[in-house]
Amino acid sequence: MSDESDPRAAGGTGGDGKRDGLGGSGGRGPTGGDGERTDPDRDNIDPITLEVLRNAFAAVAEEMNANLVRTGYSPNITERKDCSCALFDADGEMLSQAETMPVHLGAMPFSVAAALERFPPETLSPGDAVVLNDPFRGGAHLPDLTLVTPIFVDDEGTDGAVTADSVGRSADDEPVTDDLELLGFAANRAHHADIGGARAGSVAADSTEIYQEGLRIPPVKLYDGGDVVTDTVELLLANVRTPDERRGDLRAQHAANETGRRRLLDLVGDHGVGTLRTAVDAVQDYAEKRMRAAITDLPDGTYGYADVLDDDGRASEDVRIEASVTIDGDALTVDFDGTDAQTAGPINAVFAVTASATYYAVRCVTDPEIPANAGAYRPIEIETPDGSVVDAEPPAAVVGGNLETSQRVTDVVLGALAEIAPERALAAGQGTMNNVTFGGIDPRTDDPYAFYETGGGGFGAHASGDGMDGVHVHMSNTMNTPAEVLETAYPLSVERYAYRPDTGGAGEFRGGLGLRRDIRVRATGSTGVAFSLLADRRTHAPYGVAGGESGAPGEDVLYRAAVHQSDADDVDGPDERTEALPAKCTQHLDAGDVVSIRTPGGGGYGDPADRDPDALRRDLADGLLSVESARQAYDTDLVERVAADLDATVDGDESAQSR
Amino acid sequence: MTESSPGVRIGVDVGGTFTDVVAVRDGELTVTKTPSTPDAPDEGVVDGLELSRDAAGYAVAGVADLAHGTTVATNAVLERDWADVALVTTEGFRDALAIGRQDRPDIYDYTVSKPEPVVPRRRRFEVTERLDERGEVRTPLDEASVRAVADELPAEIESIAVSLLFAFENDTHERRVAEILEDELGGDDDTVDESGDSPVSLSLSSDVRPEIREYERTLVTALNAALKPVMDAYVGRLEEAVADRGIEPALRIMQSNGGTIGADRARTRPVNTLLSGPAAGVRGAAHVAGLRGEGNVITMDMGGTSCDVSLVRDGEPTVTTGLEIGEYPVAVPSIDVHTIGAGGGSIAWVDDGGALRVGPRSAGAEPGPVCYGRGGTQPTVTDAQVLCGRLDPARFLDRDADDPGTAGIDRDAVEAAVAEHVAEPLGLSVPEAAEGILDVANASMERALRVVSVEAGHDPRDFGLVAYGGAGPAHAAALAESLSIPRVLVPRTAGVLSALGLLVSDRLVERSASMVRPLAAVDPGAIETALADFEDEGWAQLDATTDSIVVERSIDLRYAGQSFDLTVDLPEGPVTDETLTDAVEAFHAAHERRYGHASPDEPVELVTVRARVRAVVEPPRLSAAEGTGSDADQAVHGTRSVVFDGTTRETPVYDRPALSVGSDVTGPAIVDGPESTVVVRPGWRATVDGYGTIVMEENA
Repeated sequence: MSDESDPRAAGGTGGDGKRDGLGGSGGRGPTGGDGERTDPDRDNIDPITLEVLRNAFAAVAEEMNANLVRTGYSPNITERKDCSCALFDADGEMLSQAETMPVHLGAMPFSVAAALERFPPETLSPGDAVVLNDPFRGGAHLPDLTLVTPIFVDDEGTDGAVTADSVGRSADDEPVTDDLELLGFAANRAHHADIGGARAGSVAADSTEIYQEGLRIPPVKLYDGGDVVTDTVELLLANVRTPDERRGDLRAQHAANETGRRRLLDLVGDHGVGTLRTAVDAVQDYAEKRMRAAITDLPDGTYGYADVLDDDGRASEDVRIEASVTIDGDALTVDFDGTDAQTAGPINAVFAVTASATYYAVRCVTDPEIPANAGAYRPIEIETPDGSVVDAEPPAAVVGGNLETSQRVTDVVLGALAEIAPERALAAGQGTMNNVTFGGIDPRTDDPYAFYETGGGGFGAHASGDGMDGVHVHMSNTMNTPAEVLETAYPLSVERYAYRPDTGGAGEFRGGLGLRRDIRVRATGSTGVAFSLLADRRTHAPYGVAGGESGAPGEDVLYRAAVHQSDADDVDGPDERTEALPAKCTQHLDAGDVVSIRTPGGGGYGDPADRDPDALRRDLADGLLSVESARQAYDTDLVERVAADLDATVDGDESAQSR
Repeated sequence: MTESSPGVRIGVDVGGTFTDVVAVRDGELTVTKTPSTPDAPDEGVVDGLELSRDAAGYAVAGVADLAHGTTVATNAVLERDWADVALVTTEGFRDALAIGRQDRPDIYDYTVSKPEPVVPRRRRFEVTERLDERGEVRTPLDEASVRAVADELPAEIESIAVSLLFAFENDTHERRVAEILEDELGGDDDTVDESGDSPVSLSLSSDVRPEIREYERTLVTALNAALKPVMDAYVGRLEEAVADRGIEPALRIMQSNGGTIGADRARTRPVNTLLSGPAAGVRGAAHVAGLRGEGNVITMDMGGTSCDVSLVRDGEPTVTTGLEIGEYPVAVPSIDVHTIGAGGGSIAWVDDGGALRVGPRSAGAEPGPVCYGRGGTQPTVTDAQVLCGRLDPARFLDRDADDPGTAGIDRDAVEAAVAEHVAEPLGLSVPEAAEGILDVANASMERALRVVSVEAGHDPRDFGLVAYGGAGPAHAAALAESLSIPRVLVPRTAGVLSALGLLVSDRLVERSASMVRPLAAVDPGAIETALADFEDEGWAQLDATTDSIVVERSIDLRYAGQSFDLTVDLPEGPVTDETLTDAVEAFHAAHERRYGHASPDEPVELVTVRARVRAVVEPPRLSAAEGTGSDADQAVHGTRSVVFDGTTRETPVYDRPALSVGSDVTGPAIVDGPESTVVVRPGWRATVDGYGTIVMEENA
């Protein structure tokens, strides 16, 4: 194993085959922070300044994100908002984040660490920006490009490069001085619609090596002293299918970091460097304190959980992920020992992705209000087996690690936490992002197109209510493409977009329902349509908790018009008219063919016998639960009684949500 | 020539606590407040009108204009207290209204739920039909499927929404569905039945909001259907009551877009009135700033529980289709009001990490802040203002002067609350804690001001700040200071700005329809036809004299493949190839300005065509404020110990009504007014302009 391929190298401590989280007490985070801070001032910042600056740091990240979404070029950034922004301190510890894409947020600190490892502070200057996407050096998967911009400050509270459009009170005309010190970093990550590789869209379900997945970018300078590095840009754009779009999105990423830099310098102008540096530490200590308090509330002990991915897209075997969570006072350790080795197919997660999914799960179960900065993660230690599907080594294919394996890591950690804190337990959600891609020639214009979207499904039930129906779960939160927009833009049509009744796991609180989305190829050019599916939870169902039942797995079917020599009226199969699709596959489609994607439901919470009869009645009246399914899952007498007087008692204005 | 009214002009704004009436006669302004009557708001309106008539001494026969801001639709949405409603939609899409955009409301908090669908699933019905993206029929409407829906409809349904895919391109299927349902059910189509007792009312998406994106269009149509019977009944009662009292002019009702509309239109399009009151407030603020020649202002309306922030550019409030009301994204044109949960009643507390927090919990009006003396024990922002000496606790007690229970309340109770809940846990002195509460509250408001300005690409240094609402003027200067906003305006009518805003708002009909296609493939004649139809409809609805009508035409354009579009104005006169070419040039320039880049070689797509037909309403001429003396000293009625930046200063207190035009006050100073208190910070000065507006500026 080379240093270059090992993110631990950035931590600067020895390799014993185990890793821990960011700044954990073991001291092997990506930046080597030891968490044992000795700054005598750190407890002395007054609570008012702390709260004011905490607000300000959060506002800077949000402003960066607003700027990125506003100036981005591709719809994936401007409409689906598949991007995230954060601020970091001079040690590369995360200070604040704009809360958009969960899978990005816990992983970005590894990008800053990788950038710092390649470019130590003394080699950086104002106006530099480092770009990277290499999953084995600070990235997650190749389509996600991360840009890291160092922020410097001198005694005058400026870096000599403040631009005229700066808003606030910074000293615009101060000359450059020699005593510049690193203040921190602005960083953002955006999912680019194509980064080259074997398949358009760079989300191939059949890769076996990262070299097939697209262009791999180690930390390199995209800007140097304020000037764009033309060699970097030319090399990058020569390797992607839509270079103009990439150029526009990269420009937006740079503009977002510049916003972060200016705003942080504005805060220096308002509060002074000393106060700002103290506050930077204090907001992290504050988050750490709250996280430790939340962990202390959990009972000590070690709790294990294991779950599987259906397959890796190449072989049909289950891929096992196992975690044991240990609560020891105010510290929490997650050990993935027992997890399967990395796979040939592209579902391998690098450590940063696993860490991100783990932080997300812990944050959900402890206190979602705790500010998500490096301090909140200090009490959390993560250990992974080298070369496993949760800590892949090169040259593994990784695109689905970020999309699918991240979801299962979340399920496994939440599963263990469910035993620790039953009252805060959450059943499994759909556990997949249901990635689909259609590519071909639009006969209306003769232009090539690639349409990529992800699908929502059932959320897990919990002690305070039913799981949400038809939403993205856990590591994703992107929006759908409206049918009218899709049909206007592509020679495809949405034939059905509906809840899947009976898919929510039964329980006192039921799991959320999966979705069904039928997409027809209306017309093709001479090449037909290349379709790919990258999904999971088609074989193994999302689990229930506290006596709740599993949600229904997903299923996907294909109706071939040519076989039947007619268009389908409805694709209700699987039956003799349709073929079942594997969870991860590529298919050639012709005009009239219909793909029906049916996403999993969420698991239930609690004994179905305790279900509120009114909630049962509403689901029956709304057809979200059939009488037949209800008879199997719930008390038969109750179901008969409820079903008998449905029309008489359901009030349309009642809440359909169980409380 | 514009519409002007020689008689008495009246604006009535119904708020949660008070119904405000502003009457203008011969330039004289009379302001009255009466308690609102939430169970039957029309009664409060009538009470207010009667008090106003008595106070201003006018004859009802002389009333020339009656404009109304209402929260009836808003409250119905917030409380989901609306009609029994059904939805008819395209086969396969019954659940689109409930699925929404498939994102969840909070990333980490899994106990949140999606918005409850406006129409429950058992009342959502499908009909067989399908149009393509050009409005061409793919599957003809199966009329039997419509009759089947009519048979299945539960008896209690009062209102039906019809929203079919691509109805914005071709409304014939929706219209036919409506006809069949009317036949079967005996209802009417989208008109108010004279008798008011039609068995069912219909809302068609091709009428309510004919724009692309099925979820947003269906949601707005369903909300409209749910609100229609509620609004219809309310406006019917109000019109009757007003007519009974001899007021002749037709009632105008404020819409979210900042223009008013006739009462009959409000009854059929209640979804356009959801932001009626706040929109009027922003209009009022823009007007007051405009009187001084200031077109660029940020407005800030801070009350007891929340703070509404908005941005006005060149005299026009920013309009968006991206607002949320309750939990619903209501995609109709609305003045862009950004609301945060920071008000005078927001409660200060210390969290388990030892940080001082303010809100989101609020003491509301009952029990209210500790200083109200109504049993509140949690320290609030208003209490902190009292302890910092900026507010006089006596002013709150006056309200309940007859209530012996309030007699004993003094600073001590407020101090004790701040000491117990904030100062002691944090190891601070009470004054430090009190000023800290204000700093923390200001930090969240500063964030809101940045959202409407910096995040939208505007530099706050180019804007003034108009502060109103009970709590706004006490916070404004500190916010202006931290955002480098050069000037703060506090209107004389800061307490009734919404009611005043009603009188300065034009009557406005907006129509639009999506026509998504490459601009190069569009026949200018097709755009012309669509716009001409809209304009005919607008003229008919406004029923105004020809010379007071202004027509504004625009189109939304984008680069093919993008998802955000920009609105570009079209010139007067017919749409031609030349005007479209000019529009494309303007689009490239606007794109460069807003997004920082443009692609003049990329193909441009038409998305939506829009017409705004406006009957210009001449604002009432207000007389200049009383007095001309510039000696502010005569208005000083005492001093208070006021904390500024950790230092207590003996600070003069001015009586706002006694401050005459031209008065010049040097900070630090406090100006007590009947509705709010203005804090003039050290290093700032305040002057009173010819309209009675207090203008604060930082000393050079």
